[in-house]
Amino acid sequence: MQLLPQRSLPLALGALVLALSVGARGGDTPDRWWAPGEGRVLPAVLDYDNANGTLRTLVVGGPLKTKGHPFFEPLGPNGRACVTCHQPADAMSLSVASAQRQWERTGGKDPLFAAIDGSNCPTLPQQKRESHSLLLERGLFRIERPWPVRSFNGKPVTPDFTIEVVRDPNGCNSGVYGPAAGRISVYRRPRPVANMKYLLAVGFPYDPKQGYALPLDPDDGKPQSGNLMADNRAGNLRLQMEDAGSSHLGMLKRLTPAQRKRLQDFELRVFTAMQVSKAGGAVDSGGAKAGPARLRDSAPGALGSIGEPVWSEFKGWESIPPEEAARLTPEQLAFRQSVARGAKVFRDKTFLITDTAGINSRIGFGNPVRNSCVFCHNMSQMGNDVAPGQVDLGTTTLPFADPWADLPLFKVTCTGRPHPHYGRVIYTYDPGFALTSGKCADVGKITLQSMRGLSARAPYFSNGLAKDLRGVVDYYERRYSIGYTEQEKQDLVNLMSVL
Amino acid sequence: MKRLAVLAALYGCGSTQAAEAGDLVRFVACPVYRDTDSGKKSGCWLGDDRDTGMRWDVSQSPYKPDWNYAMLVEGRPSTDAAKPCGAPTLDPVRTSRLDTPCVQHMIPAEGFTGRKFVLPRRNIAPLSVTRPVPAGPYAERVFPVYFEFDKDFLVYQYDDWLVDNAVTWIRAAKPKRLIVTGFAATEPQVVSGVTLAERPEVAGERAEAIAETLRRLLPGIVMDVRSEPSAQPTDDAEADGLPWQSQRRVEIRALF
Repeated sequence: MQLLPQRSLPLALGALVLALSVGARGGDTPDRWWAPGEGRVLPAVLDYDNANGTLRTLVVGGPLKTKGHPFFEPLGPNGRACVTCHQPADAMSLSVASAQRQWERTGGKDPLFAAIDGSNCPTLPQQKRESHSLLLERGLFRIERPWPVRSFNGKPVTPDFTIEVVRDPNGCNSGVYGPAAGRISVYRRPRPVANMKYLLAVGFPYDPKQGYALPLDPDDGKPQSGNLMADNRAGNLRLQMEDAGSSHLGMLKRLTPAQRKRLQDFELRVFTAMQVSKAGGAVDSGGAKAGPARLRDSAPGALGSIGEPVWSEFKGWESIPPEEAARLTPEQLAFRQSVARGAKVFRDKTFLITDTAGINSRIGFGNPVRNSCVFCHNMSQMGNDVAPGQVDLGTTTLPFADPWADLPLFKVTCTGRPHPHYGRVIYTYDPGFALTSGKCADVGKITLQSMRGLSARAPYFSNGLAKDLRGVVDYYERRYSIGYTEQEKQDLVNLMSVL
Repeated sequence: MKRLAVLAALYGCGSTQAAEAGDLVRFVACPVYRDTDSGKKSGCWLGDDRDTGMRWDVSQSPYKPDWNYAMLVEGRPSTDAAKPCGAPTLDPVRTSRLDTPCVQHMIPAEGFTGRKFVLPRRNIAPLSVTRPVPAGPYAERVFPVYFEFDKDFLVYQYDDWLVDNAVTWIRAAKPKRLIVTGFAATEPQVVSGVTLAERPEVAGERAEAIAETLRRLLPGIVMDVRSEPSAQPTDDAEADGLPWQSQRRVEIRALF
């Protein structure tokens, strides 16, 4: 069993560079890590540097006094608060660099590394670094899902598949854990708690991937977006908060209505995106119109194909006037042109999408279907899916997933109709949405990721398989044989670095 | 086979005769994907009718084929003689995915352009767009919704549009109750040497799929859900004159 992959050294060096960068901001500058219960004031505008530039977080109606606020105070016995895993410097998610930095600073004592999910398994010796390798190397938290499946509103679902454990490198899918004990452990990245109005937006009344009208919010009776969580197990913020409170925070009591109200109010007021690119300058300058203020001020839920094209915020950088170009360094000019090209590649470079549930089945687009990145990343300003975004890119499921010896491997056997692409037997690290829907056809489907603030929160994909932005492009190239040129790959990386 | 003969008599020639514009064509084949590139969704789907030796362009089906599985093709030759995919076009046409495995087969564009994607007539507006209120007076009315062969899945940019229109009318008309009835074309028919019949239970599956969608769109509405494991063709315009498509349906009947 390999508990300390060889990638740890470069990542640790990255964390060191990051720490030096923070230190360079001045000794009196508050630390970039927001610890629970500090009582700091969250400014209305908060900037943090990262390797690609400056991330800006806006709090509408801010500043916010965090003392006593349920997002920032520990609510359970493990000492964690929501902010522990949703850090402002990390685009309200958590980068692996931050996790490593906290390990070094606290000797692994930070509540971030709580045994319940900040270690590979609570049964492992918690003082050892290797017991937390999935968090420290790929930013993964343990997510425990019930078996048999319960849907997002707690309703039991009879699954049309069985699940067996093929490999359990961490011990959290056997013994008191695992399907036989009713507790399946999978490992996932935390999703950003920001730009929430886009993730909650509903564009159309139907879920074309599932073939039904959208499910209704049990609280207000309105259609649900289906874009909050990786496996869509929580359809609204209340359910998400309660899920997180009882699991990640270890709360013994339920959140009070007042706490829920404050949490929801805060989460709807936070917007985050890159504001300044190190290579290209401010992303709302020179004709570009990106950055968090644009996110804050735009209407959510618009389909790029019939409205404002996705990433057209950078159209102004497609043809930079000579007088503007003269004010830029050659490197800045080249970078801005690259970002603009990247936006066009994202929208216009088509390729054959094959054997991908949620796209090629059952929706009826055909298998294969020719399209581009915006086929799924179709919402203006955000690049998430206007429809509920459960798609199987193969990131968690064989044969498409990269080999990971330190993740559990499950054998799923369809008892009804076979999976439209994998057949009757499927090997997966994470069944994803199938652990909510109970449908074999949904094995491996993961809700599309949010695309804002990427520079602040590597690694990427739900299981952290891409350690950097180039890794994201490379995965798609491997998966779909797109034929990106080297220039196109770099243009896409540059685009994603400024979102 | 008897059903097919009756249908052929009712609706024109079957696939074993030379197909001309207006004739019905029905066959089973492994799909061929022609990789044309006129932008998004521009690839071509082709199918070969074994009985006639004809290759048809079936790309205009609302539900596109899967190159891993055989397809049931049902359509009429188009009056448009253009061959952007390199074969005469069936339009209207339906393709249904069957469970029979096929070898993936992709051919190059070979100079054919395919079709630039055009949003189909049957597409729904975003929720932000207010639906016009259908004019009264309102009286008992039936809204059909159509399906692939032996499937209960709501077809994108076809069924969602049909359901959306129905729901807009029902919201305005406020009927006392709905009767949702699923139908299945269970009578065996031989197509391209393959005996095809829908499962009787798909009638109930279709009814329940539409009923669940209606529960979500029309919370609290009184609804009876029924199934009929047999189906007669209809002449409803939204089945595009394809009798087999018209059989595979759910009817939403609004009662006052």
